[in-house]
Amino acid sequence: MSIATELSRALELFEFPFMQRALIGGVFTGLTGGLLGSFTILRQLSFFSDALGHSALLGISFAFLLGLNPSAIILPFAVIFALVVMFLLERTHLWTDALLNIIYSSSLAVALIVLSFVGQYKGGINHLLFGDILAIRNADLILSAVLFCLCTAFIGLTLRTQMLLTINEPMAIARGVPVATYRTIFIVLLALLVGVSIKAIGVLLVSAFIVIPACAARLLSRTFTHHIVASAGLGAISAILGILLSALFNLPSGPSIVVMQLAIFCLAIVVPTAQRLAL
Amino acid sequence: MSETVLAIEQLTVYRDNYAAVQDVSFSLTAGTDTAVVGPNGAGKSTLIQAILGIFPRQKGQIFVLGQPLSQQGKLTAEVRQSIAYLPQNFPFDRRIPMTVAEFVGLGWDRLGLQLPWAGRKPRRKAVREALSRVEAWHLCHQPISSLSGGEIKRVLLAYCLVRPRRLLILDEAPAGLDVRGESEFYQLLYELKQEQGWAILQVSHDLDMVRRHCDRALCLNQTLRCQGTPEVALSSSNLSLTYGSEFVPYHHTCRDY
Repeated sequence: MSIATELSRALELFEFPFMQRALIGGVFTGLTGGLLGSFTILRQLSFFSDALGHSALLGISFAFLLGLNPSAIILPFAVIFALVVMFLLERTHLWTDALLNIIYSSSLAVALIVLSFVGQYKGGINHLLFGDILAIRNADLILSAVLFCLCTAFIGLTLRTQMLLTINEPMAIARGVPVATYRTIFIVLLALLVGVSIKAIGVLLVSAFIVIPACAARLLSRTFTHHIVASAGLGAISAILGILLSALFNLPSGPSIVVMQLAIFCLAIVVPTAQRLAL
Repeated sequence: MSETVLAIEQLTVYRDNYAAVQDVSFSLTAGTDTAVVGPNGAGKSTLIQAILGIFPRQKGQIFVLGQPLSQQGKLTAEVRQSIAYLPQNFPFDRRIPMTVAEFVGLGWDRLGLQLPWAGRKPRRKAVREALSRVEAWHLCHQPISSLSGGEIKRVLLAYCLVRPRRLLILDEAPAGLDVRGESEFYQLLYELKQEQGWAILQVSHDLDMVRRHCDRALCLNQTLRCQGTPEVALSSSNLSLTYGSEFVPYHHTCRDY
């Protein structure tokens, strides 16, 4: 079969509502992940998003243990967990990466033990680890859209403050910026993003949506504002291309999107270097 | 009589259960330059941070342009806008993508909720004027990560200059510059002080610079040991009182061989 035929067959799949929902959900997650990701990498919080992803599994496992709906538990759990981690980071004198390592590896260990008790371990672990973007429902889409609007409004309306806060915190405090409030809101939004995205992407890949497009955008940007826009844009583009790739070759959707993010990141390394060599 | 820009009354600040600054009182008037001198660990940076509201105080009052600084470090947006602060060394992550124009523009903005495109034209105009004044307009589109130490100091002054200020607080701002860079920085700073009528409060270890350029010196070692004109405050007896009796001020002299 020719590539054109394969492409046509893949595109036909998008006539199905589940594929349309997957595409829209992927775009929202890519946009929000890129938007928050740009600040996450510049403030060196990448490990934090990873720890949040792993902790989500802990929340889900407790929901199973208590016989509750995991979707109802995951958002409050992610937010509370994020705030506790932030408190620990501020109050202990340990290195951030070391403390986050303790948190995410122990979250994973406890979650796996709890899952083994409730009998969900064998059947559901892959689903939890890698997610299923094709299983997104309309309610999930609404949640993703609301979160995207919230994040855009927060970052957009406080952009100048966020920029100063990122470049030099003491200068922001000297200008009267309530740093702790801004930091807490940002962390809560990041936790909500992780919580909302877990179902589609899974606990292992959720931080890729936050980190990889933002790093690719950094390689392509000279200004702060371009970086934010490019990061969100690349997040959305990689989601579209990833879902297309998944439809073309019948591959799992979440990993396909991450592979596309990686491809874009590699291009972002190569293109500026090639441009410099050409000059 | 010049307006009082900053007034400190019986300020006490604790750090880790000890009084880093105790019962300090002084005031600053417009158009004057005051240096805070003292040995390492004397509480100079703590004093600056308490004035800015970065560090909480345990006792005393701080008034900026007549307005009291609350215990939570709050001032009205208008008064906040009139203060500029240059930290020691200006540490920042050089991987952050930000151009000189973007950074200086942050000094112009009233921080808080606003649309990202609000004030674009007046901001751009103010940035151009500020960068031109410090002879750094050619750096406008450069990433701040590519600047030399001297260029960063100029850009920081443009950040202060981009909106009218009343009080400039510097924490060893010329640190990291070579002798020539430091001299150029101070030259520019004092030209701007004359033009803008800034009240300057600066932490310094350079006693010769304080003698040459400052109107007043505050000798701090936990408490305020003395204050006055540099000739009076930096006399041998006062320096011994501040730095300890073993302190011997050393003056460089050039000799022809």
